[in-house]
Amino acid sequence: MNEVTFTKGLESLNGSSLDTAAKTKKTQNPESFGNMLTRSLNDVNQLKLEADEAVANLAAGKQKDIHATMIALEKADVAFQLLMQIRNKIISAYETVMRMQA
Amino acid sequence: MDFFDALHISSTGLSAQRLRMNLISANLANINTTRTKGGGPYRRKDPVFAAQAHEASFREMLGNRRKELLKEVAVVGIVNDSRAPIKKYDPMHPDADGYGYVSMPNINLMEEMVNMISATRSYEASVTAIQSAKDMALKALEIGQ
Repeated sequence: MNEVTFTKGLESLNGSSLDTAAKTKKTQNPESFGNMLTRSLNDVNQLKLEADEAVANLAAGKQKDIHATMIALEKADVAFQLLMQIRNKIISAYETVMRMQA
Repeated sequence: MDFFDALHISSTGLSAQRLRMNLISANLANINTTRTKGGGPYRRKDPVFAAQAHEASFREMLGNRRKELLKEVAVVGIVNDSRAPIKKYDPMHPDADGYGYVSMPNINLMEEMVNMISATRSYEASVTAIQSAKDMALKALEIGQ
């Protein structure tokens, strides 16, 4: 569970098909949505790794503060829930686009 | 991120109160201690807390001056209580002086108990602050559902 694997897929989503549209936008807006999403995914992953480490340290007796571990877990939890909300929004947008054919 | 700032500041409060609780435990445990490394009876210990600016990166400081007003708590020192030791008459005690008096730590059990309740309640308050900050963040995530 060390790496969120679907970041790779996001990069390809960002790459080819929306290329021309993205390039025209890039002049005013240097960061594309895909990049931003990838970056926030990495941030969430980082928080999760920190939480993992905090739990391991507490179990090993390196960390004496229970609350520091709990706060690391809470941070990871809230960040992940935010990520899930973004994912839900993306999926529902995708489904809306797919229903357009009918 | 502001939400994490709230968590971090509350976390310093939790650490401070935990240290205070440790000192109260030490004071209670040493209520009858007549020998210390420096000589004389045990002296009651108190923590000194100070408000210090919440650590933020320089860019954040420049971008948002309100951050300077965010203060977290830091333990800047532990001081010995200056009250004189209690003299107790006990000639059989190995630490008794020439007149048969023993110097006992000047620790008031009631006072320590009240401090302990205060430390516990302050700790609970910080935990409640953390929970409220988290509830606010989760409420914000419910927007648009």
